[in-house]
Amino acid sequence: MSGDREAAGGAAHATAPDGDPPPLRLDGVTKQYAGGGGTVTALEDVSFTVERGEVTAVMGPSGSGKSTMLNMLGLLDDPTTGSVELLGEPVAGLSAAERTDVRRERVGFVFQDFHLIPTLSAVENVRLPTRFLDADYTDRAVDLLTRVGLGDRLRHTPDELSGGQKQRVAIARSLINEPDVLLADEPTGNLDRDTGEAVLGEINTIADGGVGVVAVTHDELVGEYADRTVELIDGKLHD
Amino acid sequence: MTETDQSGDDPGVRVPETEPTAAADPALGDRLARRFPAASLALRNLSRQRLRAGLATLGIVIGVFAVVTLGMLGTALQTAALAELGGLGNQVIVSPADGGDGLGARELGGIRQAAAGRGTVVPLKSGGASVAGPDGQSFAQLYGTTQPAALFGVDGVPEYLRQGAVVGDELAEGLGARVGSTVEIEGNRYRVVAIIDSEGTFSPIRPGSAVVLPPGEFVADSYSQVVVQANSADDARAIADGVRERLNTREERVSVLSLTSVLSRITEFFALLNGFLLAVAGISLVVAGVSIFNVMLMTVSERRGEIGVLRAVGIHRNEVLRTLLVEATLLGVGGGALGSVLGAAVVVGIALHTRLPLSAVFVPTNGLVALGAFGFGVLIALVGGLYPAYRAAWEPPVESLRG
Repeated sequence: MSGDREAAGGAAHATAPDGDPPPLRLDGVTKQYAGGGGTVTALEDVSFTVERGEVTAVMGPSGSGKSTMLNMLGLLDDPTTGSVELLGEPVAGLSAAERTDVRRERVGFVFQDFHLIPTLSAVENVRLPTRFLDADYTDRAVDLLTRVGLGDRLRHTPDELSGGQKQRVAIARSLINEPDVLLADEPTGNLDRDTGEAVLGEINTIADGGVGVVAVTHDELVGEYADRTVELIDGKLHD
Repeated sequence: MTETDQSGDDPGVRVPETEPTAAADPALGDRLARRFPAASLALRNLSRQRLRAGLATLGIVIGVFAVVTLGMLGTALQTAALAELGGLGNQVIVSPADGGDGLGARELGGIRQAAAGRGTVVPLKSGGASVAGPDGQSFAQLYGTTQPAALFGVDGVPEYLRQGAVVGDELAEGLGARVGSTVEIEGNRYRVVAIIDSEGTFSPIRPGSAVVLPPGEFVADSYSQVVVQANSADDARAIADGVRERLNTREERVSVLSLTSVLSRITEFFALLNGFLLAVAGISLVVAGVSIFNVMLMTVSERRGEIGVLRAVGIHRNEVLRTLLVEATLLGVGGGALGSVLGAAVVVGIALHTRLPLSAVFVPTNGLVALGAFGFGVLIALVGGLYPAYRAAWEPPVESLRG
């Protein structure tokens, strides 16, 4: 698989000099929502750093704020207090378009229920984030799909793929932009154990390429594959 | 889909199989998708809900069809009517006022002054007599003028009539007269120099049953009326005013009849009628726009999560907006094109099966009607898609993903 490692986009980051600021960091992040019965605190003073080449499992029961934390890391949501830092710089001042660019260029998302576009083939789904760019990412999409073992499913649409295959298409999609960070929401949530292990193996390989991986989950299996496991309970982070 | 596609979740199982037929020409499809990313996404989205897209398009088809049919028919009727009445509109007919007995040299002089540079003055003597031809005899209206062409304006009628007779076609048929044959009027024999085709002319003088002779053949010195063929409707109005000013200031000596105002009222009526019909048709198009609005709202609410994914993986708001707008606009383009073609075909069909001449259908205005209706249909679809697309594209992705 050594030839594929470069395709994961990790090689460039692996050679980064020591002391580089972390790709993403949460610093004292609190997130509150105005709910029906008053204010709901989803995250409370969470500080967390994504390290390159490391798989972190964020474990916790439903409603513990895992998804909120992932949204903060993915620049999809703003903290009520505290700051989110991208390469050491706070992102608070970025416009919606600049955040979108950051997501397109630096972050890969793997969603719990795959979220593939049903009308697009596997290759088109994988190069979806680059669809409106001038450059052609088809070759890279084919490489990535081949790498996750779907070289013979390139032209299949999602309804022609099994759950595990869909999740692997989603993983390939998250790597199309050679991200610094891969954010996975319950990556094994809809998969049986064998398929889940295969997907986690895939994710470990990606991390070996220098990508910082954060997987939020309540699946113990993810914890077994992670370099670091933290627990999120009632919005508070525990190592 | 074959059963082998459901090869289970075991990633170890590899079932070799052929590519699905949907990707028959992937190279071309891929190239187009890369060239027009928004359009190719939009097309696929539309193909997902064919029935719904079809119904929304049908609304536009009906609306555009109504606009094109009514608009083109209105224009064609107006064109045909004006072609028939056109000559009438530019005529000013001056006749003696009540009780007067003919127009003399003084009146003629006044009329010529008023018409100078604006039209041709045709003094006309008239009377009635029995006319005999090779095959029969009939009573006919006689006109005396040297300028039959200016009066009737049809091919084959001489510019200047020095001798002989010009006979209306209906009368000529009854008499069995042709060009070159002879007709007899009150004992005098005249050679027929031309036949007036009454179909091609419209004049207060009914030319079909008339005989035109040189004015010298009439006993009276004065003219029974003077017809002025003006160069334009404006000239006709100016001539009528000029004649009234010159001859009727002190006493009512002549009566001046100009059909210009009648004609402009006819034109106004057609404009009003066309406007009304187009407004009714336009309403159906607006209703179609509402249905596009509805369809797009349904579409974006169903695809909320998908749109959230697009935004999350780095597709910009305006790119999502563009894709959705292209989707709505495509409904308008399809419906508009189909509606325009159907509408034009129906109007041509009507023209072929009625007395409406095809030449009145194929006028530049009708091209604009078809193009305008198409454009309006596209615009309506675009506007119908605007709010749903904006709402979907501007929703924070974290909200969309939750949906």
